[in-house]
Amino acid sequence: MIKPYLKYILPVIIPLIILFLPTTGFGIEGLTLVEQRVIAIFFMAALCWVLEPIPIYATSVLIIVFELLLISDNGLWFATNSPLEIQGHLLKQSTIMATFASPIIMLFLGGFFLAMAATKFRLDINLARVLLRPFGHRPKYVMLGIMMITAVFSMFMSNTATTAMMLSILTPVLALFSKEDIGKVAFALSVPVAANIGGIATPIGTPPNAVALKYLVDQYSVSFAGWMAFGVPFVVVMLLIAWLLLNHLFPADTKAIKLDIEGQFLKTPKAYLVYITFAATILLWLLGAVHGMSSYVVAMLPVAIFSMFKIITKEDLRNISWDVLWLVSGGIALGVALDESGLASNVINAVPFNSFHPLLLIAVASLLCLLMANFMSNTATANLLLPLVAALGASMHSLLPYGGQVVLILAVTFSASLGMSLPVSTPPNALAYASGHIKNTQMLKVGVIIGIIGLLVTFTMLFVLNQLGLVGGGNIY
Amino acid sequence: MEKINIICVDDEREVLDAVVHDLDYFRDLFNIEACESAFECLELLEELDAQQEHVAVLISDHVMPEKSGVELLTEVALDNRFLGTKKLLLTGLATQADTIKAINNAKLDNFLEKVWDPQELLQTVKELLTEYIVEKGLDYEEYIEKLDAPTLYRLIKY
Repeated sequence: MIKPYLKYILPVIIPLIILFLPTTGFGIEGLTLVEQRVIAIFFMAALCWVLEPIPIYATSVLIIVFELLLISDNGLWFATNSPLEIQGHLLKQSTIMATFASPIIMLFLGGFFLAMAATKFRLDINLARVLLRPFGHRPKYVMLGIMMITAVFSMFMSNTATTAMMLSILTPVLALFSKEDIGKVAFALSVPVAANIGGIATPIGTPPNAVALKYLVDQYSVSFAGWMAFGVPFVVVMLLIAWLLLNHLFPADTKAIKLDIEGQFLKTPKAYLVYITFAATILLWLLGAVHGMSSYVVAMLPVAIFSMFKIITKEDLRNISWDVLWLVSGGIALGVALDESGLASNVINAVPFNSFHPLLLIAVASLLCLLMANFMSNTATANLLLPLVAALGASMHSLLPYGGQVVLILAVTFSASLGMSLPVSTPPNALAYASGHIKNTQMLKVGVIIGIIGLLVTFTMLFVLNQLGLVGGGNIY
Repeated sequence: MEKINIICVDDEREVLDAVVHDLDYFRDLFNIEACESAFECLELLEELDAQQEHVAVLISDHVMPEKSGVELLTEVALDNRFLGTKKLLLTGLATQADTIKAINNAKLDNFLEKVWDPQELLQTVKELLTEYIVEKGLDYEEYIEKLDAPTLYRLIKY
């Protein structure tokens, strides 16, 4: 292990060294001061997200602040007064600050409003109660039900909140399992696995997807329904595989399981408004092609409606996970800086990536992403890797026959959600591990197998979609 | 990582040591403080507040010379600086009047009888600690190995 103080020193020293090197020292022809500073900020971000000397959302804020100080048109005096040809192109301060409220962030805010209202008016727990009923009492099928419902909820709610809710339903059941029945391992693991996988299905399912949206623009833009068109089948396949795997590894001895969820649907006018708004928002997201509103615009509707009718109150507003929004903003800001400073295209030109085989590149990038996501935040992983692979994908013509940039970006994005082999990999894993029913090694085994299979399924799916001309041909609908 | 304290108050040294011993489980992530009187506890509270440390759980005996446990806990309950601190009364000698006061004025979070079951005390403190951490919005993941999982599942909403 590295010495504890290094995690504080390295993120300071290394970016400083990069800042004070001569611009000719990087081996990139015509590197400007602005581009050099972007490199320094990128290394600062990477080191802070990997070593975590400060909270991960603070790193995002730091990125934005350093960009404002060092590469914006209103930054520090010495950072803005060099001749243009040495200094390079400064970014507008409004461009950098706008990352806090980019359409992607607003899409997530809308998602948060929906999730919050659903929890507050017990739509989630009541739906879980009704939806679990058809799965009966046999452990195998109850688990399938739990996994499907967890996955569906995590498409629209945070994976963490979904996991907490489903585990609270399971806690009394798990207590009834006999000591030596390893079936409870399967149950305790099924929830985080389903939550992690489920998040992949929609653009708002999990923050890495939001980060990906930043790079899927213009002719490559993906609509909400377009994302779900490949996300949902992927999740269904992965859930089935995970279910079979868990049942195979940890078969339950218990013959029957009874889930006791109390309660009934709320029938107040406010509750009905929540149900209708929830359903309408999702419907509008899916029907983007009909009404013309983008998913970003649709996301603002629940925000307006829930605020108007005090369904989300001032107090609730304070409880919104601003840290998640800021974490994504920082990632977007990093991408903007790489892009607009011209650094991304400069680096790609300087390094002979074109000599790599495109399939090797997709495989290596996805594996690296999977590995990183196991040890650090999935969102931070996506924040770091996606701007790099997006730039790479755009410049590599040899990638085109395999679907181009889009395929590379999606493969890496999916990989970011497949890291789930350690308790620290994701908050859902940490929560499930805390139940005390799972051993480290059991989680590791399941996580590694699901991660590898997930990658293979991702590659297969993207290959098939590309063969059918649905991905990479210029548009995904 | 934030400094989080668990305070135990009892005028009998052996009892105090026994309580502290039963809470050994928390020692590597939390700070366990022992006080032999209500006054010592109040002093300690001032000190901890000056350092901006958290007082998550306060476990007190009731019958003590000079100031009783219920009086101590009532003072803490009315002190804005310790809003959210979980209060546990651990006593075998509370009259009904004391108990009424403890509930109405000291706003107890839990009441355990002496002689206590170490397992029960541990579980109770675990739950109270978990509630405190989630309610205060502290990063629960840092402390998760010592927290009560069902309480976490119940309280985490976001």
